[in-house]
Amino acid sequence: MSVLRADGVTVRFGGLVAVQDVRFAVEQGEIYAVIGPNGAGKTTLFNAVTGIYAPTEGRVEFNGKEQVEPLTVRIIARLLATFFVVGVSTVIGLNIETIWTAVIIDNYKFGELFPWGHGIECFFSTLWNLPPAKSILPFLLGGGIGAGAAAVSWSRGRRAPDHIARSGVARTFQNIRLFNELSLVQNVLVGMDYRMETGFWSALFRLPKFYAERSQCHAAARELLQFVGLGDRADQAAGSLPYGFRRRLEIARALAGKPSIILLDEPAAGMNPSEIVALMALIRRVRDAGTTVVLIEHHMRLVMGVSDRILVLQYGRQIAEGIPEEIRVNPKIIEAYLGSENHG
Amino acid sequence: MTMRWRPGPIFIILAIAAFIPLLDQVLPAKMQLSEAIRGVFLYAILALGLNVVTGYAGLLNLGIAAFMAIGAYTFGILTCEIYPFQLGFWPAIALTIPIGALAGFILGAPTLGLRGDYLAIVTLGFGEIVQDVLKNLDVVTKGTQGINPLPAPNFGGGEWTAEDEYKWYYLFFVLLVLTVLAIRNLERSRLGRAWFSIREDEIASRSMGIRVERIKMIAFATAAAIAAFAGGLSASVLSSTGEPSNYDFQISILALCIVIVGGIGSIAGVLVGALVMVGLNSIVLVKATAWMAAHGIGGQGNVLLSPNNWKYLIFGLALILAVRLKPNGLLPPRIERAHK
Repeated sequence: MSVLRADGVTVRFGGLVAVQDVRFAVEQGEIYAVIGPNGAGKTTLFNAVTGIYAPTEGRVEFNGKEQVEPLTVRIIARLLATFFVVGVSTVIGLNIETIWTAVIIDNYKFGELFPWGHGIECFFSTLWNLPPAKSILPFLLGGGIGAGAAAVSWSRGRRAPDHIARSGVARTFQNIRLFNELSLVQNVLVGMDYRMETGFWSALFRLPKFYAERSQCHAAARELLQFVGLGDRADQAAGSLPYGFRRRLEIARALAGKPSIILLDEPAAGMNPSEIVALMALIRRVRDAGTTVVLIEHHMRLVMGVSDRILVLQYGRQIAEGIPEEIRVNPKIIEAYLGSENHG
Repeated sequence: MTMRWRPGPIFIILAIAAFIPLLDQVLPAKMQLSEAIRGVFLYAILALGLNVVTGYAGLLNLGIAAFMAIGAYTFGILTCEIYPFQLGFWPAIALTIPIGALAGFILGAPTLGLRGDYLAIVTLGFGEIVQDVLKNLDVVTKGTQGINPLPAPNFGGGEWTAEDEYKWYYLFFVLLVLTVLAIRNLERSRLGRAWFSIREDEIASRSMGIRVERIKMIAFATAAAIAAFAGGLSASVLSSTGEPSNYDFQISILALCIVIVGGIGSIAGVLVGALVMVGLNSIVLVKATAWMAAHGIGGQGNVLLSPNNWKYLIFGLALILAVRLKPNGLLPPRIERAHK
């Protein structure tokens, strides 16, 4: 089964077709490259795969499943609960003066004990005796708006990048997006976050499992920084890193969640030749450690050097796919990059 | 990892604060500090709450005073003898926290999808709406009268009065220390890191699997809870909720200024910021006015010669100077803070 499969993916922005009917499948343990001239739609394709854009048409599957959050009974129950809670709150909020008077003011004599049972009875009887315009109507209206909004926001978030990332699809960005004010370790730890289990209360009260997880994760983060060759800079701020190292940090951060597939968007941009050689070795090591790699790259020596297979895009369409040797001699690709010989 | 413990700035500030009442023993009666410092503590707690949402998560909240009002009125309704609940100080002050969080959730749930400026406008509007609701919901909130009298804490030895200045001081001090500890624990955890990552780059955090809406919601509710807690305390020390306009936009802006002057996202910074912004008003200007009056300078007639009237001038000046000279605040957060 393919780790990643794109089936007729099309992305349109208004009238502009950025990616059209792209199909490919990446196998487990492969290094798969996507190349093409500037504006060919490579990054848009990545964004469609990772959920930053929704594909206008077509589907993207990871390990045979489309990464859309399923509509479960729990979610329906949650929507119904939202309807009820927001509806009841609307009714109470709208009639708060009537209710407060009937329940508290009318029953409470200063200095005497408050009859709680009677107060609660009054509360419900007041609610029941409200005229429909002040009870059932606001209940339906408020509940409807609340549940409707919750449903809309849920369906928008169904294929959100966080959901896709949590299912083991990591990425880096063409224009590096690190957390500059955090240290290198912290950057990696953010990538590890969805694997962590301790929550709000164990952090607030510093429960033993908080400490256990913290030391475990910090050790793992340092090890990962070691792996990409940034071990001795672990505690400095990401914003103070030289450019070439930033891409390595992005790779470490992406690897932190132990993804099954990692998408690298122009990892070699701005690197000098010796840095590129080191990057090639790193990409191979990532693959050898069991992570499937998909990369966008312009640097041909890197692409031809590490890729198992290559996909070529031009004007949003795929014009070729194959092993490096085929791509290297394919006239269509040479034309795409260098232009055609027969003008006019 | 055994690291030698060194006192951080937070510890040093709090340690100094612990000895202010002792200092008062030697200072002349007119120079007493502890009552004014108690006010600084209150605003420090409020600003620490705002710091969670604005400093850590980077969401500009211009309506933090509304949550303070919600806390104050919660405390008022739960304790005042005109209503049947009549809880004591401790259960009521404890309940302001979840109710504040609930209020934060109610405001946050529909609005946290909004970006930057739009969210700021919504929170600003919320601040105004809460005031209007409190003013007009006469049956429950007693309108502009406010709810009073409210009980003071009671440790078995009878209720405290205004005379028990040092008891109040240390109560506020201990509660401030607890707030600082709680926020510090959250800051140096997975949650705090997620807050920072959202502030730095929302798209990147989302692509790393951070559930941005949920994390923002927790920041919003935590801030609201702490602000409500501050509101409950303020109602208790005043023995009244005061009128709704006590929780107006001015208070929200004061809290925001404390955070900006002190250092956005820094606990120690917020403590120093509260001292500078609130202390300036309630200590320096008040004492200077008293001193000048005692020495026959200024006095009646000339409003300009009474430092109390310089409040907003100095307020603005401090803000401009802070942003111009120390854009990251007096005590900006440190990078290493959370790797421990």
